[in-house]
Amino acid sequence: MATQAIALQVDGIQKSFGGVPVLHAVSFNVPSGHVTALAGENGAGKSTLMKIVSGQIKADAGTVTLFGQTLEQGDPMVSRRSGVSIVPQELSPYPDLSIYENLFVGREIRNKLGLLNHSEMQKRATQMLEVFGLDLNPKIKMNRLSVAVTQLVEITKATSWGAKILLLDEPTSAIPDREVDQLYKVVRALREQDVAMIYTTHRMIEIQELADSVVVLRDGNLALNVPISDADESKIVRSMVGRDLEKLTSAKININAKKRISISNLQVDRKSEPVSFEIAEGEILGLGGLIGAGRTEIVESIFGIRKARNGVIAIDGVEINIGKPSESIKAGIAFVPEDRKGAGLVLSRSVVDNTSLPHIREFSRSGWVNFGSRNTAVTKVVESVNLRSRGLSQLVGTLSGGNQQKIVLARWLTQSVKLLILDEPTRGVDVGARGEIYSIIRKLASEGMSVLLVSSDMPELIGMSHRVLVIRGGAVAGEMTREELDQDDAQIKIFEYASGQVTEDINV
Amino acid sequence: MSNKNTSALGNLEEIKKVNWDKERVTNLLVRNSMVFVLLLVIGYFSFKNDGFLTLPNLRTILIASAPFALITLGQTLVILTGGIDLSVGSVIALATMTSAKFVVTYPDQFWFAIALGIFVGFIAGIINGVVVAYLNVTPFVTTLGMLTIASGLAYAIGNGAPINGLPERWGNIANTKFFGFQSPVFVMIAGFIIIGVIMTRTSFGLRIYAVGGNRVAAEVAGVNSRRILIYVYAISGTLAGLSGVILSSRVISGPPNLGSGYELSAIAAVVIGGASLMGGRGTIWGSFLGLLLIQTLNNGLDILIIPAYWQRVISGVLIISAVTVDMWATKRSSK
Repeated sequence: MATQAIALQVDGIQKSFGGVPVLHAVSFNVPSGHVTALAGENGAGKSTLMKIVSGQIKADAGTVTLFGQTLEQGDPMVSRRSGVSIVPQELSPYPDLSIYENLFVGREIRNKLGLLNHSEMQKRATQMLEVFGLDLNPKIKMNRLSVAVTQLVEITKATSWGAKILLLDEPTSAIPDREVDQLYKVVRALREQDVAMIYTTHRMIEIQELADSVVVLRDGNLALNVPISDADESKIVRSMVGRDLEKLTSAKININAKKRISISNLQVDRKSEPVSFEIAEGEILGLGGLIGAGRTEIVESIFGIRKARNGVIAIDGVEINIGKPSESIKAGIAFVPEDRKGAGLVLSRSVVDNTSLPHIREFSRSGWVNFGSRNTAVTKVVESVNLRSRGLSQLVGTLSGGNQQKIVLARWLTQSVKLLILDEPTRGVDVGARGEIYSIIRKLASEGMSVLLVSSDMPELIGMSHRVLVIRGGAVAGEMTREELDQDDAQIKIFEYASGQVTEDINV
Repeated sequence: MSNKNTSALGNLEEIKKVNWDKERVTNLLVRNSMVFVLLLVIGYFSFKNDGFLTLPNLRTILIASAPFALITLGQTLVILTGGIDLSVGSVIALATMTSAKFVVTYPDQFWFAIALGIFVGFIAGIINGVVVAYLNVTPFVTTLGMLTIASGLAYAIGNGAPINGLPERWGNIANTKFFGFQSPVFVMIAGFIIIGVIMTRTSFGLRIYAVGGNRVAAEVAGVNSRRILIYVYAISGTLAGLSGVILSSRVISGPPNLGSGYELSAIAAVVIGGASLMGGRGTIWGSFLGLLLIQTLNNGLDILIIPAYWQRVISGVLIISAVTVDMWATKRSSK
């Protein structure tokens, strides 16, 4: 291992998005024929780092060196020519083309007449697939393959360009466990061929199985960089989550609060287990878990933008008609979606239009908008969240992320809200606005609003919640009380529930 | 960008004071570019020909615009939701033929014949809306299908021939004059005012913008986007039906190809008026200016005796340049 040449070296890489630092001077290297596991929580900067190496974005500072040559950053073609290939988390094959066509797009083999030489491409495709032990007919359409096999074909494609450095972004996040073995085989085969690999994952087991060394990022800093022999599981987890929690003071609990919101037997889809829980008046209930654990699906079903299979939701004992956002809004449920731009805001409209949209009925008499009362109400709520804009008529598309998020939050507050659902409320929000959003949420809860908080940010989840339910595979995998959240090992425990290393028997 | 301790309104005052400068003036020019282009065009033609800037000619322009006014309005609403309605021209023909056939058969049922024409447009619009909203067929395909269906039905009603022998009274609908203007001009102005007010002053208008700007976000905010889509296509169809009645009154007959190609003129007016085909952006005022600009240009070129085929070339160039300028202006203002 030590005799191998350094294939990839990153040096002092820094990157910020809109003033929010994502990577602070990260440096490490990967030798040829060496698998480096890149671990870190959601938002730690893993994907950004991969994108810089693969040329999709340019670092603000720092260098990437490939086989001793400094990479000219920001051009995917240059990275590719230098031998870097990436298999992204979200695969993007051409679904209606065959496997061999997918493999040869952009470098088609032609015959003397300049027409496509299908038989030659099919023959070569078969050979390429065989290298990885894939016995597939190259004429099969891509959309008939499972995600796992699609991924293997993408890896085949990536390496067949002559990649000497392969970046695998959470390759196992979307594929079932029983199909992981084949991926392992392919990774090992590539190691034999001296390909250097960076492999991001959340799963400890994969790190142990595959990696030669581990690099952990935390908040954009390099938290750990050791050979696998020096890294046991708890060490890796601790460097992933071991963050300063002091910034967030723990919220106080009102023990006497009556249970106000009850969700029973909510079944999101056929595959998932039903979930039931209650939220008290003034309680902030956190939903923890890994990305893809089914938290967003649960809250979207409660609000009604996703049709649940089953389930009863009651507020103050009154059942509500689920499956319709307009009914949920009427019943006093407010929803701040994860995807602020995609599902929260109409970017081409003004602050006042966006803020008044959910309750536009209340500002209108038989359809006619009363601009005076609307402006008064909107002014009041945007002031209450400390919005910084050039005025009510500014287009929300031109506001900063933090201020956009304040609007997505504030627009519900023009009417009384009983249940506030927040899905990743501070993703992409800078530190200052983050603090403000926290204090707004706390204030609303202290006034009696029940809050359901989905968060992948551990300090946020632990600091804000009165109680946390950890979700895995769409079901409740563990529950933690405020006392448990105050313990030093709270993050590790949540992580264990979330990754399925421990399962608590929950009687709900 | 802004002071941390000022509130939303505090900042507004501040910015108002600071920004009365060159930048604000250019912004004003950019945002109202269509008005200036229209003035420029008018200026050019007045300079070239004394007959252009006269009251009778102005009247000619307005009268020429009127047939397109209602479908331009409907088209604006549809385009604001991110859709397109290709069927309006054929729906005009279908409404024309239906009411013409009816009034020829039952000459005393004058008002019912008018209502029937409008109703036919309404039904075509509802079908478009339901197919788009509930069956999720793209608006382009849905309304292209409706274009073919409505056109086929229009010909079927007259067995492939125009309907003649309409009562003379039928001609009164569109040919009655008030203050020297024929009634369609008033229908046009009233239509633009009413729809303009709906779009800027009612919750329905805001919801149309919201559905077009971001359908998912609108649904999260409790907007029933399917219902909005159905309403919008129904309005477009109804206005096409009304157009059909008015147009058949102008010619006091029922030609089955009446309105053919009008949908493209309507789309052109909306696009020149600054609406985005992606939805969510555009105004009624803009579409009005777009319509006037096209008609003014045609009229001016007529006066200068430029052949019709060159007029088409110039209109095409105008459409592309208007959208190019608009893209540039939008990019600039979002910075």
